[in-house]
Amino acid sequence: MAEIKQEPISQKKLEYIRRERTKEMRQQMVSFALMIFLTFVAFGLVAMDLDASFVIPIVIGMAFLQVILQFYYFMHMKDKGHEYIKLMMLTGMFFAIAFVTTFIYIVWIGAPIE
Amino acid sequence: MASATKKRGVGPVIWDYMTTVDHKKIAILYLIAGGFFFALGGIEAMLIRIQLAVPNNDFLSAGLFNEVITMHGTTMIFLAAMPLLFAFMNATVPLQIGARDVAFPFLNSLGVWLFIFGGIFLNLSWFMGGAPDAGWTSYASLSIKSPGHGIDFYALGLQIAGAGTLISGINFVTTIISMRAPGMTYMRMPLMTWTTLVASVLIVFAFPPLTIGLFLLTFDRMFGSSFFLVETGGNTIIWEHLFWIFGHPEVYILILPAFGIFSEIFATFARKRLFGYSAMVFATVLIGFFGFMVWAHHMFTVGLGPTANAIFSVATMAIAVPTGIKIFNWIFTIWGGSIEFTTPMLYALAFIPSFVMGGVTGIMQAAAPADYQYHDSYFIVAHFHYVIVGGVVFGLLAGLHYYWPLMFGTMLSEKLGKISFVLFVAGFHMTFLIQHFLGLWGMPRRVFTYLDGQGYNTSNMISTVGALMMAVAVIILLINIIITVAKNQKVGRDPWGDGRTLEWSLPLPVPHYNFAQTPLIRGLDAYWIEKKENDGKMMPAESLDDFHMPNNSIIPFVISLGLFVAAFGALHFASGKEWAIDAVSDLPQHPWALWVLILGLAIVFISMGVRSWKDDLGYYVTKEEVLKDLEEQERGAK
Repeated sequence: MAEIKQEPISQKKLEYIRRERTKEMRQQMVSFALMIFLTFVAFGLVAMDLDASFVIPIVIGMAFLQVILQFYYFMHMKDKGHEYIKLMMLTGMFFAIAFVTTFIYIVWIGAPIE
Repeated sequence: MASATKKRGVGPVIWDYMTTVDHKKIAILYLIAGGFFFALGGIEAMLIRIQLAVPNNDFLSAGLFNEVITMHGTTMIFLAAMPLLFAFMNATVPLQIGARDVAFPFLNSLGVWLFIFGGIFLNLSWFMGGAPDAGWTSYASLSIKSPGHGIDFYALGLQIAGAGTLISGINFVTTIISMRAPGMTYMRMPLMTWTTLVASVLIVFAFPPLTIGLFLLTFDRMFGSSFFLVETGGNTIIWEHLFWIFGHPEVYILILPAFGIFSEIFATFARKRLFGYSAMVFATVLIGFFGFMVWAHHMFTVGLGPTANAIFSVATMAIAVPTGIKIFNWIFTIWGGSIEFTTPMLYALAFIPSFVMGGVTGIMQAAAPADYQYHDSYFIVAHFHYVIVGGVVFGLLAGLHYYWPLMFGTMLSEKLGKISFVLFVAGFHMTFLIQHFLGLWGMPRRVFTYLDGQGYNTSNMISTVGALMMAVAVIILLINIIITVAKNQKVGRDPWGDGRTLEWSLPLPVPHYNFAQTPLIRGLDAYWIEKKENDGKMMPAESLDDFHMPNNSIIPFVISLGLFVAAFGALHFASGKEWAIDAVSDLPQHPWALWVLILGLAIVFISMGVRSWKDDLGYYVTKEEVLKDLEEQERGAK
């Protein structure tokens, strides 16, 4: 077995990496707090027994926001070198939405379940 | 690894193949296993044709006939065509993009072993109480009712094999995106690499619906859920949708790599740059994208309503446009070329009219009102055999002759190759052309026999004789392979003499690290450019130095074995249980089933744990070793 050969990291580079990581950590904490907050708001709205036609779009909207936060901050989609991942994810979402839309509005697969 | 050239016994060679992570050896594994299943599916096809040769035949019973047609379809699509394509993808793609291996060599090995164990599991159904009998589509209304364990073998076997395919798909996407040599931009990638990329993306998107469908079926049949049980609120149409959301992209997963193989062959043996390269790439991507938007054209007669049928009808017809672009580009590539009629080129030339015929009948069926007439008749059987045999199988046979020297360092006999080509193509048209007319005359598909005096007798006999010709052609091909292996006359670099792409610039047999130095790519048809403008040697993009390679591992084999064992537990879990569906509730109980399931999964998770916690850092190929190899090649060339 062989060890992986690596170049030693220079002091300057190390400092740079540390600075970047601190920044990254701060962003992650902020978005994490934001997501917890959004979740509480969603739970609160449901618990308050408001009109469903008012609650549902808001909850879906906040869920969408959370997904974006997840992808961009937790799963690093904001970083460089993630263009293909973004492309693949968007394509996948496009297909998934197309399938669901087809099921609900075109082939009426929901009808027998109602 | 350094001792790869030494003479060894059979045991170490088998061990080497069981543990290998080298894409070239994995390609050979895919080729052998896929070839075996191709023979099995072929034997099943022969049984079908013998049964249908004369009216009122009792060669096969009705139930056995259903099992044979189901296994023929399932074996040919999942266990023969896809693995054989993976064989050529593995053999060529890393070499075409200038990589030393795929991105995840361990996963590559896992993929092949999952496929092999899944395939064996599926075929063990023959010896363990009957094969699946609900057709390769396994529509839930049939498969839930099918008594015995046949469908369970189908669901579990395909789940295991499908996981392997999904893993390989992810692997190829990553490899092609991230491991191209310097200068190998996207628009310089050979078409085989492009079609592999698009087919792999299709695998990544299309296999999850199949996985879900199979899981739902597994749970309905083995663990007491009711997704497809109408009497408890389930819906069998959901299976059809899930299956075809996977199933339609699946046929493009099959045909696109075949298109890639043909594109390479046309350019090589017409000795011309591929006409309209960028249009070809565009068409490939477009076919892949459209492939997801047309699944309901398999379900026109389900009763989705005129809106759905119209939308899917138009979307289906749209696919003819990029496919037409490809056909014309191939014709223009041959046009004015200095053509060499080798066996692969003959298959490629026969492919164009055969595939166009299959495509035209496809457009006929895309018209939803007309499809009500064609539906469930032999016309459909004729159509999909024209595209799959005339497209994919021709591509596989062409690829086998074309890439044989790259994989084994020897040449298949051209004379025997041409004999089997003539027999195969003639037999193919004889078998399936007449089936269009049988369908239009009203013969339904999936019937085990037909009555005398309906006017089907002669045509069915013609079809059977054609099938026998194809069988003879495959036997001649096998003889050709055996003679070639026995003679073992080695050939050197660029054996066809007109190699254009990077893989032909390598010495044969290809060293286990592929490239001593990563090559610099200066354009499309990288090797051809160096031959015409330079001394015919690839320019290196790096200095000669040590480089890192992965170690062999038995873990992929063990993981696959674990799933294979677990599948037997799941299979018998519901036997004789009160809550089970009618199909299995009167079978004898097997109290050991749960423990076998747990044991199998334990093997899987323990081996995954070993893989995760035990560091395996690979090894270095040293500069001295590479220099020694290069010297040997130099001497061999002189």
